[in-house]
Amino acid sequence: MSSLHDSKSQQPPKTGLLLLQGLILLLFFIFALRFWFLQIHKGIYFEEQAKNNQLRQDRLYAPRGLIRDREGKLLALNEPAYALGLVREDCKDLDATMLTVSKWTGVDLAKLKDVFKKSRKRVKPFEPLILIPNLTFKQVAIIEANALHWPGLEVVVRSRRKYLQGPLLSHVLGYVAESTEAELEADEGLAVGDFTGKQGLEFMLEKRFRGVKGRRQVEVDATGRRLKERILNPPVAGEDIDLSIDIELQTLGGKLLEGKAGAVVVMNPDNGQILAFVSAPSYDNNLFTTGFSRKDWAELQNNPMHPLQNRVIQSVYPPGSVFKLAVAAAGLHYNVINLKETVHCPGFVKLGKYVFRCWKKYGHGDVNMEQALVQSCDVYFYKLGMKLGVDRISEFAFKAGFGKKTGISLPHEKPGLIPTRAWKRRRFGEIWHPGENLNFAIGQGYTLTSPLQVARFISSVVNGGRLLRPQLLAGEPAEEQGRLPLSDVQLQLIRKAMIETVDGAHGTARRLRMKGIVVGGKTGTAQVVKLTDELKKMKDKDIPYKYRDHAWMASFAERGAERYVIVCMVEHGLHGASGAGPIVKALYDQLYAKKPEGEAVRD
Amino acid sequence: MSPVDRRLLIHMNWFLLGLAGVLFFVGVMNLYSASGFRMEDGMSVNSFYQKQLIWGLMGFGGMITFMLFDYRHLKTIAWPLFFVTVLLLIAVPFAGKTIYGARRWLDLGFFNFQPSELAKITILIIGARILSKDSDPLGFTKLAYVVGVGLVPAVMVILQPDLGSGLNILLILGGMILYRGLTSKVFKTMAVAIPCIIPLGWLFMHDYQKRRVVSFMDPASDPLGAGYHIIQSEIAIGSGRLWGKGFLGGTQSQLRFLPEKHTDFAIAVFGEEWGFVGAMSLLSLFCVFLYQMVVTARDAKDLFGSYLAAGVFFYFFWQILINMGMVLGLMPVVGIPLPFISYGGSATVVNFCLVGLVLNVSMRRYVFKQG
Repeated sequence: MSSLHDSKSQQPPKTGLLLLQGLILLLFFIFALRFWFLQIHKGIYFEEQAKNNQLRQDRLYAPRGLIRDREGKLLALNEPAYALGLVREDCKDLDATMLTVSKWTGVDLAKLKDVFKKSRKRVKPFEPLILIPNLTFKQVAIIEANALHWPGLEVVVRSRRKYLQGPLLSHVLGYVAESTEAELEADEGLAVGDFTGKQGLEFMLEKRFRGVKGRRQVEVDATGRRLKERILNPPVAGEDIDLSIDIELQTLGGKLLEGKAGAVVVMNPDNGQILAFVSAPSYDNNLFTTGFSRKDWAELQNNPMHPLQNRVIQSVYPPGSVFKLAVAAAGLHYNVINLKETVHCPGFVKLGKYVFRCWKKYGHGDVNMEQALVQSCDVYFYKLGMKLGVDRISEFAFKAGFGKKTGISLPHEKPGLIPTRAWKRRRFGEIWHPGENLNFAIGQGYTLTSPLQVARFISSVVNGGRLLRPQLLAGEPAEEQGRLPLSDVQLQLIRKAMIETVDGAHGTARRLRMKGIVVGGKTGTAQVVKLTDELKKMKDKDIPYKYRDHAWMASFAERGAERYVIVCMVEHGLHGASGAGPIVKALYDQLYAKKPEGEAVRD
Repeated sequence: MSPVDRRLLIHMNWFLLGLAGVLFFVGVMNLYSASGFRMEDGMSVNSFYQKQLIWGLMGFGGMITFMLFDYRHLKTIAWPLFFVTVLLLIAVPFAGKTIYGARRWLDLGFFNFQPSELAKITILIIGARILSKDSDPLGFTKLAYVVGVGLVPAVMVILQPDLGSGLNILLILGGMILYRGLTSKVFKTMAVAIPCIIPLGWLFMHDYQKRRVVSFMDPASDPLGAGYHIIQSEIAIGSGRLWGKGFLGGTQSQLRFLPEKHTDFAIAVFGEEWGFVGAMSLLSLFCVFLYQMVVTARDAKDLFGSYLAAGVFFYFFWQILINMGMVLGLMPVVGIPLPFISYGGSATVVNFCLVGLVLNVSMRRYVFKQG
């Protein structure tokens, strides 16, 4: 024990002891003074406050920003929606109240209890907890008539998103739905029951659309009845947003794709603005705000045409012959084509023991680069593909914006796929076979592109090689993401071949011809499966839907400074010219009919 | 030496024991009132004060335990105890249980153990051991050493995240350092440096903690959230006026305008029901209670005991200061309970244990060489 024993000479610190006593005095006087101030000096005031009390504060919901098209036509607005709120502090008998609510509205009691349990922690004292987010008018009437007997219950008026165009713009606008647990956790500005953007621009621009909630002071009596109200902070409405979309053009695009699965993009090649963005089939985005019936949701999920799929940016397809434009451009860039040099097309090419066929059975005869593009001769591109090799084709394709996202401000965009040797080794553990260069050069094989990527590529051919980010909002400045490594002369050659495809006697896109307007195009017919001999013999209309080829049409048109790029892709549309051509033509007709010649588009 | 010598019982500070008992009794009574007659989330609120009574009994047992052994043994186990505490704190992020979004608890099967509570006791013991080695005012080197030892558990607790307990640990140690005294050079340097360091703390605070500070500066900025507590507790206390509204008579607390009234805001219920007179009585009780720690620190037989008593002093002092400061609207809202008055299991047990520790030091003040 002696080892634990300290020498008596060590006295406790004197100043330390004084300090402790001083601290006690300090503690006493600070708090005594404060109690005196609150209870004696301001006691009457606080007693008054306690009596009237009962000042509470309410939120005032901020309306979500409106959405308009490029001409100022309203596309999305807000309408009042009624929710049932429960202030649990006012509620005398929670179980009985919930049972009554269940009786009034037909909502399952267990579900109500579940909602209550989940939201309870997140709702501040004296704030209505949203029990039922959407009430029908009949339900509102019942509740308003009986609420007096059930303190705590109140009808909360909020605003709800309404999309005037329904399915037509769902793939652009997306939709809003009730905030999830995780969103509430992450975002301070959100309250239980708030709607947040889940898809499309509603999701991407959530912060701009949302606005800031206001506050209102409410005086209530002991039973929670409202006596007086005063607005402390008015709510700040969310930002209104104008789209680059031309709703008339969009409407036409939607009509033209009715009953089909496919995509149409209309783009201004000079600034990247999107005038029409159609993905078909679509869904009604209003359903997400008003609530789905189980049946509707199942139908949407199980629809074999996948209406939730955004075909402009999320579906990737083999580009077929449209890709020949890029391969021809690569040939020019790497200087492996002599423009005058012709290739003889007998209808096939042999590589080792394999035979690669041209789409034209008996061949195109002698074709130069322009004619090869105009007539979409496969043999010419087989040979060009062999000369270029996979490394150069893919390098060029990446520079042309394929194989990576376009960066449009929509969620879940897919990058598509441009194969490389390294990719193939990673993916299949195999080397790149020379024969694959041939398929690569005609846009078959592994290559996958989204319609939007094709539109951006065509735009760059038209606008002097600038790869622009596709923009959905009006007035957004053009954003250059890269350049095609081609000279103006080389770009002109590609352009000229596209024009000749429309104008020439042998062109595959002749149906795009328009009087007084320069139009260029490239058709594509992308194989979905390697057709068996049996299928090959069939007439088009006899081939089962899922085996039919995809139809592509990539095009541009210009009249003076007024230029557009339109890309259309119809799933299983058989042939580019017949499956996608008429759709593109109809859109140009409307675009050029709308404004007399000479008037430039408003940008 | 038998565990409890008769002389020890005679020398025991019965007054301190009585004070703790009275405070606890006031707390249970207040809790009974705060519980009111309403149902809270399906759980009968009456069970709050019943549970608190049970915790009090456990605390009483803890207090006896902390009195029985000779406190000087703590000196030997100070370092091992420190390392065990650190190990437990390390275990928390891996094996801890998450309650209310924070990982602070270890599940020991029969109850959930909060190592940060143990850390508060540990810091007091290790602090007493280091600081009582000699008695000169602390210079820079020694100060850095002591603070360094304290920072280890404190930072780990803050990261849990439990800013309140973490700062509590540092404050207890800081108080003990002040008790020992600093050289004037150190003192002057700190007087300049600390105000400069405080803004840095802002950078490390969670958003909700920042909101509390902001809402303290301007309660109207967030009257539905953090500011709501302050506004409502001021109304409750203020409306109690001189004599209070009487036991069970508080309108604010009974009508449930006052949040968390059984835990951190218990004093608001008390202030409303017992008025200025009651508040002064309770405040005085706390001051006399604290003064008993000072007496023990003064009369302790050795420096180790003196520092233990000073440590316990600061353990209670900061809690009272911060809790009352917050409820009275003088400080930002931080979740720190009022000793003996607020509801809470581990806190009650620890409070009694520490009173036991002070009694231990106090009753051995005349015990000279015995070993």
